[in-house]
Parts: sequence; structure tokens; C-alpha cells
Amino acid sequence: MGADSRVRCVFAAGAALVALACCGLAAAQSPEPTYHPGLGRLSLGGDATATASPADADAYFNFTNYDQNTLRAAQVRLLAEWRLSSTVSLLAELRAANGAGIDGAAWYVRWHPSAARAFDVQVGRIPPVIGLFAREPYGRDNLLIGAPLAYQYLLSLRPDALPASADDLIRMRGRGWEPSFPIGSSAVATGIPIVSAFQWDTGAEAHWHGGRMDVAGAVTRGSASVPAVGRDVNGGETWSGRVAVTGPAGLTVGVSGARGPWIESSTLALLPASLDAQDTQTLVGADLEFGWGRWLVRGEELRAVFDMPLIDATNPATRLAAWSGYLEARYRVHPRWDVAGRVEQLDFSSIQGTLGGGLPTTWDAPVERVSADVGYRAHRQLEVRAGWQMNWRDGGRISKRGYPTLQLLIWF
Amino acid sequence: MRPLVASLAFVAAGALGLTDAAPHRGADTGVIRGRVTESGVATAVGVRPLVGDLGSTSRDMTDRRRAVVYVDPAPRPALEELPAGRASMDQRHEEFIPHVLAITVGTVVDFPNDDTKFHNVFSLSRVKTFDLGRYPAGHSKAVQFDKPGIVPISCDIHTHMSAYVLVFNHPYFAVADEDGRYAIVNVPAGAYTLKVWSEVGQTDPRTVVVPDGQSVECDFRLERSR
Repeated sequence: MGADSRVRCVFAAGAALVALACCGLAAAQSPEPTYHPGLGRLSLGGDATATASPADADAYFNFTNYDQNTLRAAQVRLLAEWRLSSTVSLLAELRAANGAGIDGAAWYVRWHPSAARAFDVQVGRIPPVIGLFAREPYGRDNLLIGAPLAYQYLLSLRPDALPASADDLIRMRGRGWEPSFPIGSSAVATGIPIVSAFQWDTGAEAHWHGGRMDVAGAVTRGSASVPAVGRDVNGGETWSGRVAVTGPAGLTVGVSGARGPWIESSTLALLPASLDAQDTQTLVGADLEFGWGRWLVRGEELRAVFDMPLIDATNPATRLAAWSGYLEARYRVHPRWDVAGRVEQLDFSSIQGTLGGGLPTTWDAPVERVSADVGYRAHRQLEVRAGWQMNWRDGGRISKRGYPTLQLLIWF
Repeated sequence: MRPLVASLAFVAAGALGLTDAAPHRGADTGVIRGRVTESGVATAVGVRPLVGDLGSTSRDMTDRRRAVVYVDPAPRPALEELPAGRASMDQRHEEFIPHVLAITVGTVVDFPNDDTKFHNVFSLSRVKTFDLGRYPAGHSKAVQFDKPGIVPISCDIHTHMSAYVLVFNHPYFAVADEDGRYAIVNVPAGAYTLKVWSEVGQTDPRTVVVPDGQSVECDFRLERSR
């Protein structure tokens, strides 16, 4: 399938979602509020975050595909919703971080066809449907100062450069901040996370909520790890979805999945034509959230499999698995004070090359992380946090690093 | 910041809001009524957009009552007349209803969760600091407000949810309805300063004289706060 036809397919699928919504909800007739378009329907919000920790020029445990260190950043976000009618809104998020200019991190149309039904369609640069964390990775919605490994830590994979052999891959273990490979781009670039929480993808999604069930599905131009920002790099579409059920005791359990190509077309074109190059990222995940009284507990487990065509390997159709899980909790000690902690790990499947005596080894360096914070709400829109994050990595230049952290959050 | 400024003014003026400026003791009570209108003030209070949402939530705030008119200072016998009350502030469709609740000191306010999802109710106000934690639909928790002042109410889960509880140490106040109309009843005859607290605007206090057993009209026009 050509790139153009794939793009057309994505938007055809989006149109199909919209059409499906029209058909399914055409019978829903209910009184709705009268809308008068104008500035009176423009609502604004935002937040400012300043996070401090010691400089990190060699370990890169907290760097993201958004070129930021999550523990060392000053960021301002402006959120806007312009309700054009009772059913259609335009939403946008502008973000400026570390003085690096303003980025349109999100912009999309939300169609809410009936006030009587909890059904929405969103088209544009949209929030990811996968998991829990990626939709609100900033500020007060994040229980701790840093981000979970699954959504932030940079794997030693690049969509624009490919290893030729297993040894090329093994050499890059623990070097996700700046991996380099012989095939494709030689430019300096970061690796990719399992799920991109700091850059969102472009496409269409539909969401339905009924009773205790929440269902969302999306088709986007990028993949879970490599969102399409500004341009479509491989002409493929990723299908993703999440189903969640909320129980009466405050427990919500969800399962997610996504599948789509993650390697750039121009890079795949460099491989021999005889190689049946697969380029799919397949992701499955489960998440839970429990909140009652003073407690809020969240956990996720995500497993991604990256198809990796290796031209010099015994088995060129290599599949690289990465999985990560975390469990975090916050306890409110006092209306103003809370304590929070997170434990997590990131692990990988093994491959076999000639390095290291030819023994099987993980294709990237496993990481473990423990974080703990104390938070103080000085005002209902102002919070100060202090904490400590400890990282261990089985590879790379730095295998262990702790970071004291301090964060100031303001939202409006 | 407007509500904060108004809160400070309210606390400064109203916390001790009793006066010896004697009403005509033993006389019939009167009514202060009127209307609070808005000038150049947005009629809808915007709520924080949730760009990370997948949708499904109506963001229209259905309760448009925003202003409270009150006597300040109140006549001396006011404290003796305070009833031990009970009031309620519901949580429905990710909104506190009513958005503005005016009560007397000592009133217990129930916060029933009449929504379909978990909510939290908290305030960091110096007047009343509390956090009721997270609780599910169908459950209710209560707080007694034992000091006068303004208590901003929030939900820790849904940042766009907000409300105000105004706690008076006298009964001479009224929440203006959606058309801005209010009526303060059973006011002893006398001269009073009338003030307005509003989330969306401000106006200067006005002096009214309540004749024996009669009503007096006093309208206000809110200007956009600076």
C-alpha cells in the first residue's frame, strides 16, 4: 500500500467513525442548551511548572522524546476550548518549555453529538487512548515529579535508523538518549519511549462511556512510540483502543492495545528488496486505578513488541519486546500535605549476537526506578513538591543515579 | 484573584459583623429586596478545559447564581437569632450545586455525591480547612462551618469543579437568583450598609434605611473586577 493511499485510508477511517456516530445517535433527541457562538464560549486554563534537580549530562535517565529532562524543566501550558455550538468544540494546548518556543502540543475538534449520550469523536492531534498516564502527563495529574519509564525512558531504537545486526543493537544498550545505527540517518537523535506521552499523535478517535464502562478507539498516522507530528513518516496507520470498567468500590481496571508501523518509509527503503521487512509495533497493556478516602493508587503494565528487520542476522525478522510496569500511590496526610511513591521496572527480551561471547543478552539495558515525593498545597492552585528518585540500569555508561527533586506547580 | 480579594474584604468586614447601631428594637421587621445586574461581565464562568480528556463531559455550568447580598455590619441582636441549620451542596455532572451557598455560623453542610463518578471535596481556606477524601456516587459527607468567612470549595479529582460557601454570623443575607433578584427578610428597622459578594464582579456598598414593617428596594450593578 502506498503512502498516499495509506493516508487516505486513515482519514477514511476517521470519517467512518464519524458516520458511525451519526447513525448510532440519530435517534437521540433531547433538549439541549441554546448556544450563542462568541467569545463567551471560550474557556481558558493552564499551568506553569518549574522542576529542579542536579544537571544530568551523562546518565539521561529522565530525558524524553520531547527533548526535555522531566526533572529539570520550566514549562508553561495554555489550554483552550472554544465551543462553537452545543455539539462542536475546538480544543488546543500550547506549550512552551525551557524557552524553546511555543509548540501546538494538541489541537483537535471534539464532536459531542448528543447531550443525552456520553459519546464523543475527536479529530486532529489528539490525546492517546492507551493506558492511564499519557493523557495527563503534566502537573498535578502526575502523582510524582518524574514520569513513568514506559512513557518517558528512551529505548535504543530509532524510526529513522536501523541496526544491520544484533551486535549493532547490543552496542547501543543503555544509550537511548543518542543511539546510532549504520542504516539510515546519521544525524544525532534520541531514541523512542514505549508510549509517547509528551508528544501526541494525529488522527481520529471515538469514545463512549456508559454505566461503569468506558470504551475508546483511535486511528492515527503515527504509532504509540512514534507519533506523527507535522508529517507522516511512513504512511501507515495505527489502530489503538482501551476498554475500562469501574467497580463500585473505587477500582477502575482497563486494558489497552495498539498496532501500527513505527519505522520511517525512507529507512525501510534502504533495506534490500529481497528482505521482507516488517515494521509493526504491537502494544498491549493493563491498568488499574483505585481511589478511596485519602488513598489514590495507580498501576500499569505495558508490553510492546517492535518488528526489527536485521539484514545481517540469522533471523532477519527479529521481534524486540520491551515491557514496563509501575505501581504508584499517594496518601493525603492532611488537607495540605501528601506523600507519594512509585516503584517501576523496564525490561527487554534477549537477542544473540557475537558480542559478549555470543550469549543471549537483552537488546537494551533493563532499568529499575523508585521515586518518593512529599507535596504541600499552599493554595488550591499552587503546590510544592520535594522528592528523591533513584535509578538502576543494567548497562550504559552510568548504571546507578539518584536525583533530589523540587517542583513548583501552579494551575488556573 | 477576584474572589480572593472579595474574600479578604469579606473576612475583614464580616467576621465581626455586628454593630451597636441600634435598630428600632421591638419594631416590625422589613425586607430589603432588589436586583443584582452585571455590566460588562461574562455571564458564564469559564471552566478549565480538559484537553487530555477523551470527551463525554458537558462543561456547561447549570447553576448561574453567583452573587450574595448581605448586611454589614449586622444589627446586634443578630447573633442571638442564629438558627442551628443544615444545608446541602450536591455534586452532579462534575459541578457543585449550588455554586454559591450562603449559611450561618454553625451550619452543617452535607456534600452528597449525586454524580456517576467518584468525587472529592476540599478547602484550604483559613476559615475552614478540610479534605473529605474520595468517595463514590451515592455517598455523602458533612462539614460543620464554625467560623464566618468565605470558604472556596474544590474537587481534587476534577480541577474544573469549584464552589463557594459564605458563612455569616447573622441571618441578614440572600443569594441572588438566576435573574439577579434577592430578598433579605426579617430585617429590623434601621439604617444599614448593604454589600455584594460576587465571583464575577464587584460593586460599591450602598446604604439603605429599612422602615418599620416595610420593604426597601436596592439594586446593584456589578462591574468587571480589575
